[in-house]
Formats: sequence, structure tokens, C-alpha cells
Amino acid sequence: MNQIDPDQVQVILATDCGSTTTKAILIQKLEGVYRQTHRGEAPTTVEEPFADVTMGVINSVTEVEELSGRKLVDESGRIIQPASGDEGCDIYISTSSAGGGLQMMVAGVVAEMTAASAKRAALGAGAIVMDVISANDKRKPHEQINRIRELRPDMILVSGGTDGGNTTQVVQIAELIAPAKPQPRFGKEFTMPLIYAGNKDAAPLIEKVFDESIDLSIVPNLRPKMEMENLGPARDMIHDMFLEHVMAHAPGYDKLMGWTDAPIMPTPAAVGNILQRIAKDKKINVVGVDIGGATTDVFSVFDKTFNRTVSANLGMSYSISNVCAESGMENILRWVHFDMDERELRNRVKNKMIRPTTIPQSKEALIFEQAVAREALRLAYIQHKEFATTLKGVQQQRTVGDTFSQEAGGQTIVDNMKLNLLVASGGVLSHAPRMHQTALLLVDAFEPEGVTHLAKDSIFMMPHLGVLAEVHTKAAVEVFEKDCLIYLGTCVAAKGLGKPDKLCFTFTLRGDTLNESGEMNFGDIRLLPLGPEETATITCEPSRNFDLGAGPGKKIEQEVRGGTVGLILDARGRPLRLPVDRPACQKAIAKWVDAIGLYPEPEEALV
Amino acid sequence: MAKAYTPGLKVTNRITHRCRRILPIDGEVLVEVGDEVGARDIVAQTFMPGDVIPVNLANLLSLPPADVTECMLKQKGDKIEIGDPLARTKGIFGMMKNTYVSRHAGTIEAVSEVTGQIILRGEPIPVQIDAYLAGRVVEVLESQGVVIEADVSFVQGIFGIGGEAHGRMTMACERHDQELTADLITEEMNDCVIIGGARMTYEAISKAREVGAVAVVSGGMDDQDLKDFLGYDLGVAITGNEDVGLTVIVTEGFGEIAMAVRTFKLLKSREGDIAAVNGATQIRAGVMRPEILIPLSEEEKAHEQESGHSEGLLEIGRPVRIIRDPYFGMIGEVGGLPAEPQTLDSGSKARVLEVALDSGESVVVPRANVELIEG
Amino acid sequence: MKHSRVSPLRLLFLLALVSSLASATHGQEADDGVVSSPPRPPSNLRAVDYPMDKGEKIDLTWDLSLDDPENVSTYLVYRSRTDKEIEKKIADDRKKFIDAVKTAATEGLFGEGWKDRMADLTQEQLTHVREVRSRAAERAETTFSSDPTSEDNVYKFLGTAMPGENEFVIDKLDGKKSYTFMVKAVGTDLSQSAGVVTEVGLTPVLQWFDGEWNTSGGRFWLSIIILVFCGAVVFWILRARSGKPIRVRKIAGLEAVDEAVGRATEMGRPILFVPGIQDMNDIQTIAAMTILSHISKTAAEYDAKIEVPTARSLVMTTARETVQASYLTAGKPDAYNQDLIYYVTDEQFGFVAYLSGMMVREKPAACFYMGAFYAESLILAETGNHVGAIQIAGTAMPAQLPFFVAACDYTLIGEEFFAASAYLSGSPEELGSLKGQDVGKIIVVFLMFIGITLFTLAALTSANPGLSSIFRNMGDFLKNVILT
Repeated sequence: MNQIDPDQVQVILATDCGSTTTKAILIQKLEGVYRQTHRGEAPTTVEEPFADVTMGVINSVTEVEELSGRKLVDESGRIIQPASGDEGCDIYISTSSAGGGLQMMVAGVVAEMTAASAKRAALGAGAIVMDVISANDKRKPHEQINRIRELRPDMILVSGGTDGGNTTQVVQIAELIAPAKPQPRFGKEFTMPLIYAGNKDAAPLIEKVFDESIDLSIVPNLRPKMEMENLGPARDMIHDMFLEHVMAHAPGYDKLMGWTDAPIMPTPAAVGNILQRIAKDKKINVVGVDIGGATTDVFSVFDKTFNRTVSANLGMSYSISNVCAESGMENILRWVHFDMDERELRNRVKNKMIRPTTIPQSKEALIFEQAVAREALRLAYIQHKEFATTLKGVQQQRTVGDTFSQEAGGQTIVDNMKLNLLVASGGVLSHAPRMHQTALLLVDAFEPEGVTHLAKDSIFMMPHLGVLAEVHTKAAVEVFEKDCLIYLGTCVAAKGLGKPDKLCFTFTLRGDTLNESGEMNFGDIRLLPLGPEETATITCEPSRNFDLGAGPGKKIEQEVRGGTVGLILDARGRPLRLPVDRPACQKAIAKWVDAIGLYPEPEEALV
Repeated sequence: MAKAYTPGLKVTNRITHRCRRILPIDGEVLVEVGDEVGARDIVAQTFMPGDVIPVNLANLLSLPPADVTECMLKQKGDKIEIGDPLARTKGIFGMMKNTYVSRHAGTIEAVSEVTGQIILRGEPIPVQIDAYLAGRVVEVLESQGVVIEADVSFVQGIFGIGGEAHGRMTMACERHDQELTADLITEEMNDCVIIGGARMTYEAISKAREVGAVAVVSGGMDDQDLKDFLGYDLGVAITGNEDVGLTVIVTEGFGEIAMAVRTFKLLKSREGDIAAVNGATQIRAGVMRPEILIPLSEEEKAHEQESGHSEGLLEIGRPVRIIRDPYFGMIGEVGGLPAEPQTLDSGSKARVLEVALDSGESVVVPRANVELIEG
Repeated sequence: MKHSRVSPLRLLFLLALVSSLASATHGQEADDGVVSSPPRPPSNLRAVDYPMDKGEKIDLTWDLSLDDPENVSTYLVYRSRTDKEIEKKIADDRKKFIDAVKTAATEGLFGEGWKDRMADLTQEQLTHVREVRSRAAERAETTFSSDPTSEDNVYKFLGTAMPGENEFVIDKLDGKKSYTFMVKAVGTDLSQSAGVVTEVGLTPVLQWFDGEWNTSGGRFWLSIIILVFCGAVVFWILRARSGKPIRVRKIAGLEAVDEAVGRATEMGRPILFVPGIQDMNDIQTIAAMTILSHISKTAAEYDAKIEVPTARSLVMTTARETVQASYLTAGKPDAYNQDLIYYVTDEQFGFVAYLSGMMVREKPAACFYMGAFYAESLILAETGNHVGAIQIAGTAMPAQLPFFVAACDYTLIGEEFFAASAYLSGSPEELGSLKGQDVGKIIVVFLMFIGITLFTLAALTSANPGLSSIFRNMGDFLKNVILT
């Protein structure tokens, strides 16, 4: 890898090798600012008959080359580095989630403590956690062994015990893993990488348990004390192992690794990276979501703490049927403002599952699909909230005043009131026919409170920028702001519940283009025009039961940012409750759909 | 993209099909290249390592873990039967000794001084693999398995449950759009692969199971019936390991939908032949669809293979099936391929195509919502 | 209510009246020549069984005397005596008569106040007295006669009714006997009218329900209250059984058990459980055992060590049984070690000294204090805090709660401590009764609130007597009728 002088960098090329497509983007310095200029796409070529990931990379880069007129690939099929004149690039980086990404199994002593910390480390490193083995997971030892045998993870992470703490059970877990002889996913000739990040006193004992069929690496304990988590070393080791074992054995990656200026990252790790970077730079709290066909990833950064969860079976095509099964058809149908035949819908859902590539043609189908998306996102966010907690097993400090308000440890750190930016990506969100739909989907599913900016990732550029941030933070942040995010607008929502049509809050807006004031009654939602790059100052005075961030009934004054959708004033209350009675629910939804203008008649409807 | 590539399901009356029969772990292959094998012949076998049983002797004998090794009566590698004494404490002055008698059979694999537990490994579990497809062995993968090849009539379904099965093909329905109801299933269909027409009802599948049929194939099925039959709501389309008594294959999709005429005719023409079916479906990377394989007899092999269209390309005149509402399940031919994306009713822009339906009507649908009927 | 409220003044008056009446009757017999104009008697006397009682009451009504109110000062109410009562009355009368004769005879000899002079009498005098007395008694014996059918013997005076009143409730009757009744009017000059008598005998009947909603002393409101309270419990149990989830407020202290045990597991340190310093007869110790069973089950699942030092031998035995059962339920009977549950000393501070020392040495990662605690609460909690343990306390000792709250991570307060068993087991019966009891408590609080409000309003509106008395009456009704 070359040493890079950040100031000299003019052209950056980044690729993301997904499981089906490889995407390339070109970032250039224009008038002193880094902008994303061109992009290209090609099918990923990890599997037979090509079995060389670089072919897909070159194909996608060639498309960028054609569009930009800049020569990036030389005759021998290599990316030209460094840039000179109209040729080549200064930095080339890549991420990968090809072949299903990084799949891991983690183990710890107590499911809610070291095992949870291990899971956090693995998820944060961009892995999919296939299973968590712990001493208290209610499985019998032989069941655990069978499970370890069945799984074919790329890597195993074992933790357990604080430093100086438990050794017996840590060794016990190792003793379960060793005879199970887990097989790595790729081929038989490779040894299974296993990272031990538990009680340091147990490390020598652990070494004795495993034979040569396991490639054991020992890193500092990820939970040295109950009160402290130290995920960094374990995460770094996961990345190293990812490159050394998983990537090295995937076809063509050895070649690709030789080209890049920064280590190849698992795609989700890169997304997490850029979100953390942005949160830190701008001192804000961010939630990002990526809803795919099979899984939904939720990322959050609250008070500098990063969390990621993968909801493995919540998705919009392969897993759509599971969303319906988990949330229940009646919960999905409450988002639909007209009658639908449930039996037919269930068949439609199953048909989408078995033919995942189809797209909704009629408006009804679209509305239904977006209703499913709301539930999928809602469930994924609930799972995220449950996982993103403060540490469990920590001593609490109390005063007599806490007599009647003793809070348990391990409370979620996700606080919608503190949330500043909500970023959406993934097919159903970024390819919705109208941005209004994306915006309301986010508001309905995540229920942001107070003032929250809504944005979507234009072309799923976050992975690229995540790796770029490692080598050139400035470029990454600039492109993120300018090209990656499309601001949809701002949502101002009051927390609390009230009686329908009673005053929720009053607002006054002052801005260059928008000067308005009015009242919002409970149950109302309103969209005010505020274009991209426009801002306004909103002053809101909530009534007694409602909170906009300053406390119940307290006035707030804040700047809001416009976007392609505008300013959404939401007085529907939090938690968002829909009427239980079906006709009343339909009426409410219809009112909201109308207020935002979600589904207008298309100008030239084809069919 | 000058040409649209739209994968479809294979339905062909003659194809040379290869199937790989692989052991889960290394073992012994019992056949050689060139051997003719029957569907139920065993082609490879092996022994899976037995179940692992941890026994915590330290707790059972109230010993410090470090003392467990000294107290062992059997050593690492020894075979243990149920009732064998495993370990004995030293007691006090040689008195009051405590003995642990094994409650499991197996081999001692490890003795731990840290946790005080020993690991017993049970008897190896034999694993055998049959040929599944009657045909000829064309390749032997050393100690892993074999590849078998046969000329077959091949029908891919869209979705199935249940694993591999063999049986004689029997038609239950007269027409491709006839619903498969319980009264069409008779006692004689024992051990058969029952071919229906349109939607199959829950009662019909249950009856098929009662009479001992090995598989039911039909055009469509209601989600509710599937749920009733499985006993739970299927969340993710990864199937094949259900223990429901028979294999069920849906060729077109969910709902009231008739089997494609072509599929129906093909299956009907092979009535009475032995078929190998597999309901295993996996709709993720590395798609797997349920299949019906009917090996051809010698005289059939002599016939010319019919010529088909070029693979997977959407061209004017090719038969397609619409796979999304509002025209779900309708079959027609590609009537036109407008190049420019058009706005759909839903408001999104997408590339579309015109389909001339069999009824004579012509409809416009997104290209993503059709699949080729391949031959 | 009307007839039961008797003012002291009126009572005095009545007493005077009755005694004078008795003498008047006597006088009438002795001297027929006294001129009197008795009022006309009341008429149409009706006796009906009193509704909603336990078979002891009869309701008497009559039409007022035609002289009422000019010449009626009161009505006298009588009931018939039963045969046995008549016998008894005659026997009593006889005894009284004999005694009176004897007394009169003695007095004849020694004058009044002879009793005081008894000591001065000589032996002979005494013998003489005895003779005189026995002779007098014999005489009296033969002269006494009483007609069992006479009105005086048959009817027993029960009470009075004021002029204008035409009803009377007779209480304390025998449900197996039949009674007739008599009412007389008394004129202003205390002369009595003839008695009006019910023709047919009436037996009071036992009813299914005792008391009407607006009378005090009845069981109507009690039954309502029991129905509501028990009904609530039954209702919630049925509801819980039908599968409807019952939401119980999260008790942080119990939720945190997993956390505390987990911490001990991860840190490889023991869990300490102190079941108070009282014996098994204390309800708090019993509650502590319920919680111990839960904690030790969790500990068994996590494979953590749980230590239970006790201050009473019986508690040790119970704790051992409890923990062993939990290990069995958790499927790890082999991991149970009874040596970790032991008796220390009955001495309060000896026990505490042991615990403090042990905590400092072994540094348990989780400490549970469940049961009855006294002065040792803060010593234990502070030591535990110092060694860095997650501490969960539970006690119903109000005086110790503040110490526990301040020094422990979680505290189960009084009722929470007892609700723990329902909370932990999650069985519909226990949860249902918990919820049902809550409903009862809510009703009690609600009634208290209403009562306080009514009496406060009555006091505030004292300037307006009408309004004030409405509030006061409502309050009285609540207090005297509903809640008695």
C-alpha cells in the first residue's frame, strides 16, 4: 500500500462487490471540493463460470471509464495508479459482501453480557452472526455441539469472563467447540479461524483445548471489566482474519487485495464506519437503515456509541413472507387505506417470495408493498432497540429519591428524541416512485420525535465512502454531504398522546421562502414546501401533554432543513397509535396519505 | 442492455440431466464410472462421527477438577458401554469410595483438568446416499460422491416442500385447469406421484398422504392450505427438510392458477413412468427449484431432440408467463419490447413489454414481471 | 333506622313511663275507682315477616288510635310469650313473691335495715329469724297463684312507639316459634286502652339475604363488597387462564436477578443470599424462600455458585430444600452443593460480623438481602456496595427500606416483595389474584377518597345547613351503612 498525501489526491475510485452487482464510483476534486462524478455497474463475478471477482470490478470500472472519458484500466486489465493527467486514479478502494458476506458464530459465557459484547463486536465488524452460543442459552451441551457442527461459519469469536474472572465456563465453551470440529464455509483445506477475546487468565488453557484444525488468535478481552467494553482489538482481528482467511480464499480476491490502497472491508462495516464518522464530525445522533430482499440492517450512533443489527429474516422479497408471519397480516393491513382481500394478499405475498424479482405494477400492489416495508422496518428497529443497550451486569448508583423509579440496567440507548438524522437505503426506500413515500415510510416505521432530518442514500454510496474515510476522511465527508445523501426534508413530531382534534402544538416558521404559522391538532400531519438547500427557523409551542424535545409543554426553536419532500409536521402522537377499528383506521390513514400526497394519480398511467 | 435476460422455469420432454450425489463428509463410493444405477441403489456411504456427550465428573463425584484425571478408571480412547465404571474417588483412608457408572456408551475423547468434564463420543452414524436418478455414473468424485447422468423429461416447479421421492406418475385431473380435490384421489394412488391440474386443496393433499402417495404435483395452492398442511406459516422459502409425509410441488404459484398446458401435456404423456421428484426449494443466492425427473426409456431416447429458442432471451414471439398481479398467471407471447421506460400505474418508471395473451387481448407489464417458459 | 335512633332524653322519659305504668297497672287492680279516660285502642294490627333478615324479625304495623295525637302519649308493644317463657315467668314471679314475703316477715321482726344488724343477733335470734322466714315461705308457697293465660303472663312488653308512629320492628325472635302481638295506646294521663291483638300466630322466616341496602347492621353491603373483591380476583384469574396476558408492572429488582447472577458468572465469583435474621415463622422469610428458589434456579442455569448463610437452623434446612429443588428443575442436580448453605449463629451481630468479613474476603459479585432485617441492613448493604457487588434487597421493614434503597442497586419494597412469587411464577392463578387484590385496593382507596370528600364538603358548607346535612347524611350512610 502506498503512502498517500491527502492534499494531492485528485481522483478516487471505489468499488463495492455485492452479491449480485459490483458498483464502481468515481470521485474527483472539482474546484477544490470532492464530488462523486460518475458511476458504473456490472454483475459480480465471484461464482462459476467466471470465478474471479476482478472481472466484475474491471467491467464496472470500464463503464465508469466510458462515461467519464477517463482511462482507468490499462491493457493488462489493471487499475492505473497513481493518476496522471487524464489517466488513472490516486486512490483505489473496495468493499465486499460477495458470497453472502462475512458469516460468524460467536460464543460467550452469559448471553446478555460477554456473549452480547462478542455479538456487538462481530456485527460492528460487518459480520452476519449466525448463532450465539452461551452457557445460559437453554440448550443442552450436545445440542450446542450439534448446532456448531451444522453451522459453517467463516469465523468464530469466543469471549467470556472478565479479566481475572470466570475461567471454567470459558474453557467449557472451548471444549464444546473443539470436538464439534466446525467446518469453514469455503473448502475443506482451510483451517477455521477462531478469535479468543475473553478472560486473559483463561487464554493459556484455551490454547491447550484446540488442536491444529483451528487457527487460534488471542486478542485482549472485549469485556475486561463488567463496566467496560473494549471491542476494538476484536473488531480489528475480525477484519484481519476476514482478509487473511475469507477473502484470500474467495476467487480473485488475492488479486484485488493487491490493488487497493486500504484493506477491503465487509460492506456493512464500511457503512457503519461512515455513519460513525459523520456522527462524530457533526456531533449528531444518526440512525441508518438498509432494507434488502432478505435482510434489514439497522445502524445507529447515539452519544458516540455505535451499534448495528442485522434482522436476518426481515426483507422485502425473499423474506417478505416472514415479515407477514412475524408481524401478522392485520398489522400490515392497518397501513392500507382501502379494503383488500386477505386470502388473495397472502397468496400474493407467497408469490413475491417465490419470484422475488418482480416489481409492483398497480398502485394497490405498491401500497401493499410499502405497508409490508413499514412493518419490516418497525420490527427491525424494535430488534435494534433491544440490542443497542447500555451494558448489563453493572452496579447502579442510587439515592433515596430512586425508591419508586428504579431503572434496570441494560436500557436501550436508542432515543428517538435525541435522533438528528435518519438515513434510508435499500430498494423499497430508495426506489419508491415518490420521495414522499420514502419519507413517510421512515416516519411511520421509526417514529422519530422532536426535530429529525430525513435523508436517503442516493445510489448506495455509503460503503464506498466508509472505506474512503479510512484513507481520506475529508473526501469521504464532503462527498457524503454533497452527493451521497439526498435530503428528503425534516420531520417535526410531538411526543405524547392526546384527544383527537385537540391542540397538539402551534408553530411559526420564518425563512426565505417559507413564512407560515398555524396550529396542529392531535391526529394531524401536514407537509409544508421547503426545497432542497433551503432552511427555515421553526418555533413550536406544544400543549401540556406534548414534548418536542425541550420537555412537555416547553417551547422549542430550531432550524429545519428542506429537501425534496419538504417539512413534515407530525402531530399524530408518539408512540404512534393507529385506531384498532378497521374503518376508523382506514379513515385515519387515508387522511394522512392525502395530507402528504403520497399516492397522487400518475400523469400518464400506462395500465 | 440490448436484450433482456429473464430466467424461467425449465419444462422439457428431453434433456440430458446430471445430478451430483455428494456425501456430507468424506466416505466410500460404492459404484464406478459407467455403472448403470437404479433410483434406489446406494452409491456412496460413510460414517458420521457420533454425538458428543459431555459428562462433568468433577460435579458428579464432588471432586476438584484437577483430580479427575487421577480418578479415571478408563483412559482417553477407551470404549465405554453403559454401566461401565468410569471413575472412582480415592475416598477417606481407602474407605467410602465413590464410583461413577457411565450412563452413555461411546469412546472417551477428552478429559479436562480445568472443567473436570470428560467428552464421550457416541457410535458413528452411518450415512448412505442413493442414486435418486436412475441413470449412468459418469464421474466419481474421490471419496465424496458421484455424478449420475440420464436422459430425462424435466419439469421444474416454482415451489415445493418435502424431500426426494420416487414413484409412478398418475394423473388425477383430466384437464390442466381442473382443481385437484380430495375426491379425485383414490386408494390405487398408493406410492404414486399424483399429477393434478389447477389449485390443489388441503383436503386433497391430506387424502394423498392418507392413501400413501409419495408426491403431489399441481399448478397452484392456497397459502392458507399450505399453512394448514405444514402446521406453521412458512417464512422463508428454504424447504426440503419438512417431515410432512409426502412431497408437494407447485408448478405455477400460489392461488387459483392452472398448470401451464405444456407442463400438463408433458406430464400426461409420461403417465405410468417412474419419476424422481424433489420438493427442495431455496430462493436465495444459489437458487434451487423443486424438480420432477422422468428418465426416458430406450426407444424414447432414439427420438430427435426438439429444437428450442435460444436460452433466456426475451424476444418477440416467445411464450411468457406473467408472474405478478394484476395479470398473475396469465400466459401469452411477447408482442413488443418498447425500449423506453414507461410510467406504471404505481408511479414508478420501468422497462416494459407487451404481452399478447392467449385470449387475444394485449397487456403491458414491467419486464421484471414476466418469466420465460423455457423448453 | 327511624325506630332505632333513641335520644338519651327520650330514653329517660320512657324509663319513667314504664315504671309508672307498672305501678299504674298494679294500682288499677287494687283500686278500681280511679277515674280515667283511656284513649281508643289502635286498630287493624298486622304482623308480617321482616324482609331480608336472618329469621329473627317481624314487622308490626297498625292503624293509629282515633285519639292520636290528642290523647295518646305513646303506644306499647307486646308479643306473646312461648309456653316455656310463660313457665319461666311464673316460676320467676313465684320466687320473687316468696322472697318478698320472706323479706317482709323479717322486716316485721327487726324493722328495715335488719341486714346491717345481723351480726349483732344472738344465736337464738337467728334461729328465730330462720323459723319466721321458712314459715312465711311456706305460707307464700300456698298463697301464690298466677294464671298462665293472663295478659300479663302471655304478653311481654317489648317497647314503645311515639304517637303518630304506626310501625315497630320486633327483633330477637326465635325462628322456630309462632308469635302473636299486642299493641296498646297510652293516653296523656297514662291510662291505657285495651290491647289490640293479632289474630293468627306468625313465625319469623329466615331469608336468603340479610339486610336491605339502606339499613345498617345488615349484610347487604358486606355481601356486595365480598362479591366485588372476590369477583375481581376470580375475574382476573379466569381472564389470565383464558390466555389474555396480564401486565404486571416491571419490578426492576426481580428483572435484575438475571443480571446480578450473570455478573457473578462472568466474574467467576459467588452469589450471596441472606434470608434475613428471622425464623421461618416470619412471613418475610417465607417470601424470601420463594425468591431464593428463583435465584438459585437462575444460578444453576448459569452455573454460578450461590452461598446462603443463615441465622436460624430451620431457615438453613428450608433453604437447602429450596435450592436443591431449583437445581433439579434447572436440570443440574449434580451441580448442587449443600455445604454452601449453612447456619452461622442466632446472634444478630455475630451473624453480621461473619457476613461482613466473608463479603470482604470473597467479594461476591451479587448480594441478595431478602427477608426481615433490623439494624444490620445498612452494615450489610454498605459492605456489599464497597466490594462492588450488584445488590438486590427486599424487605417489608419500613424502617430499613431507606437504607436499602440508598445502598443497593435494586430494592423490593414491601408489597413488591410479597408479590414476587406471583411475578416470578407467572401462573395465571397467582397473577390473577394479584390483579384482583389490586382492584380491591383501588376500591378501598376510592371509597376513602369519597368519604373524605363528603365530610370535607359537609364541613365547608356548614353555613348552609340543608346542603351540609345532605353531605353529612351521605357520609354517614357510607360510614354507618356501607362500611359497617
